[in-house]
Amino acid sequence: MDRGEASDGAIVRAVLAGDVERYAELVRKYRDRYARFAARMLGSSDAAEDAIQDAFVRAYDQLAQCNEPDKFVGWFFLILRNRCFAERRKSKDRISLDAAQAIEAVERTDRDMETAERRRTLQLALLELTPEQREVFVLKHIEGMSYGEIAERLGTSVPSLKMRMHRAYDRLREQLRDRT
Amino acid sequence: MNYRLAMLAMLALVPAALAGQSIDERLGARVPRETAALVRELAARAAARGLPADPIVQKAIEGSVKAVTADRVAGALREVLAQLELSAAALRGAGMDPPDTIIVAAGAFAINAGLDASQVRELAGAGPATGAAVTLRVAGTLAALGVPAAEVVQLVATALGAGQAPADLLALPAQVQAAVARGETPAQAAVGLARAAAALGRRGPPPTRPTPPPRPQRP
Amino acid sequence: MRHEDRGFHPDVKRLLDGELRGGLDDLAPALREEAQEALRLLAEVDPTAPVVSDALEARVMAAVRAKRGRRRELVVRLRPWMLAPALAAAAVLVLLVGRVLQAPTAQAPAVASLTVRFVLVAPDAQRVSVAGTFNQWDPSATPLVRTAEAGVWAATLTLPAGEHQYAFVVDGDQWVADPAAPAIPDGFGGGRRNSVLTL
Repeated sequence: MDRGEASDGAIVRAVLAGDVERYAELVRKYRDRYARFAARMLGSSDAAEDAIQDAFVRAYDQLAQCNEPDKFVGWFFLILRNRCFAERRKSKDRISLDAAQAIEAVERTDRDMETAERRRTLQLALLELTPEQREVFVLKHIEGMSYGEIAERLGTSVPSLKMRMHRAYDRLREQLRDRT
Repeated sequence: MNYRLAMLAMLALVPAALAGQSIDERLGARVPRETAALVRELAARAAARGLPADPIVQKAIEGSVKAVTADRVAGALREVLAQLELSAAALRGAGMDPPDTIIVAAGAFAINAGLDASQVRELAGAGPATGAAVTLRVAGTLAALGVPAAEVVQLVATALGAGQAPADLLALPAQVQAAVARGETPAQAAVGLARAAAALGRRGPPPTRPTPPPRPQRP
Repeated sequence: MRHEDRGFHPDVKRLLDGELRGGLDDLAPALREEAQEALRLLAEVDPTAPVVSDALEARVMAAVRAKRGRRRELVVRLRPWMLAPALAAAAVLVLLVGRVLQAPTAQAPAVASLTVRFVLVAPDAQRVSVAGTFNQWDPSATPLVRTAEAGVWAATLTLPAGEHQYAFVVDGDQWVADPAAPAIPDGFGGGRRNSVLTL
């Protein structure tokens, strides 16, 4: 705010007051923030981009219901998260196909084929978890959040997160054993 | 699967006024020919597997009214059938064999709203079998309000365990909405309601139902 | 847990959680191999972030501009409505009329029906209807009428018990999900949602 940039709260209030074009500032600012989270949850960057786009549109629809406009990004994350959870309704075959497309993109740029293969295996195994299990794993081990931070973000308790995570560890172990 | 039994079960699901109508009559002239053909094919598959066909027909009608392209309608119809199959599998896992088509439809709704098959199985077994459809509809509605699936299961299972009848669960979505209007997240609202339900319950949690061993898959 | 023999040891899980200050050294020697396996698993995460295309902003803003005026006012106006004590934050009022609800079974379809009032705040609309599973998604079957309150449209229906999906249709072609009701994607892609009413 000292830098002369508008705060998120100010932008939200401006949009609600009628200055719709300013919503683009929020989109620009946060479009990359959760791209990796969405990609790991959904298994492909295409699906992630669709989810982020849908989430921004839905956030706009519900903007009046954002109780703390200065914390827009945390509220937006929950909308994106719901959208990622909703995505799992696609059939398993389609998810595997999208994952394969993502893998090709990785293999083109990554010279170490073995690393690419291992990452692919883990990503496919992640897609076999429930969304709740996958989410806690991605937030802690890919996004680097602590259990306390995740609990606060999701409005749940640390013990229930740990329970979910420990089940995720076991299921990943099973999956990886079956695949190697 | 006894085809006649499946037809009777389907008719019980379809509103009485429409029970006499064929699928083509219900689709009418609005639905393009290729979509109508796909609906007939998927509905026949559903009936053969003891699944309700009405959700498929409804989705086709919805797609044509919303002027959705044929390929997207086709994708949605296949997804409805996949959800019905997944729901039926989950219900068989809860010991219902064959599962009532009304409960299958309710389970598919819950899956569409974001629950996974194991959660459907758990909730179907958590209360009396005759109340399973209501239980699953409420669970799906809570998920559609933004309550994460794990918290949905916790709330519904706790309420049933505290002695509430499935019909009593119907008030839960409105209670979650009221809490959200006060500024809670859906997850917080659900956890709070679960605590309240547990506190009010006189009987305490029911003894764990043994899960029957998984049945061999039908060909 | 059924799969206990196939899962990691609890201490190995604590290691993965980052709770063992001494790391591997804090583990019993018998667990070291399992711990190595677990750590290898963690090392296989892909830390790269995908590049989001520049076109995303344009697509979002195109969708947002298409909703301008009508949609936005609708959402903002709903808030005072939501605070009215009797209404419990829902744009749909369920008036319980008639008998106690019975869960349907295959032999006995639901015996109760309930009267439901659909309400939408849409000051700029010329006409509003509600379409859903209860009227074969026919936008002309159930028009809403203007109420005494400015910009508020309403209709009352008697519906059987069960799960119903619906959306409002504004001016014949704008599909609007009920802003304060539970919502699920309509399954056709494109971000459209249906509202859910569970009786």
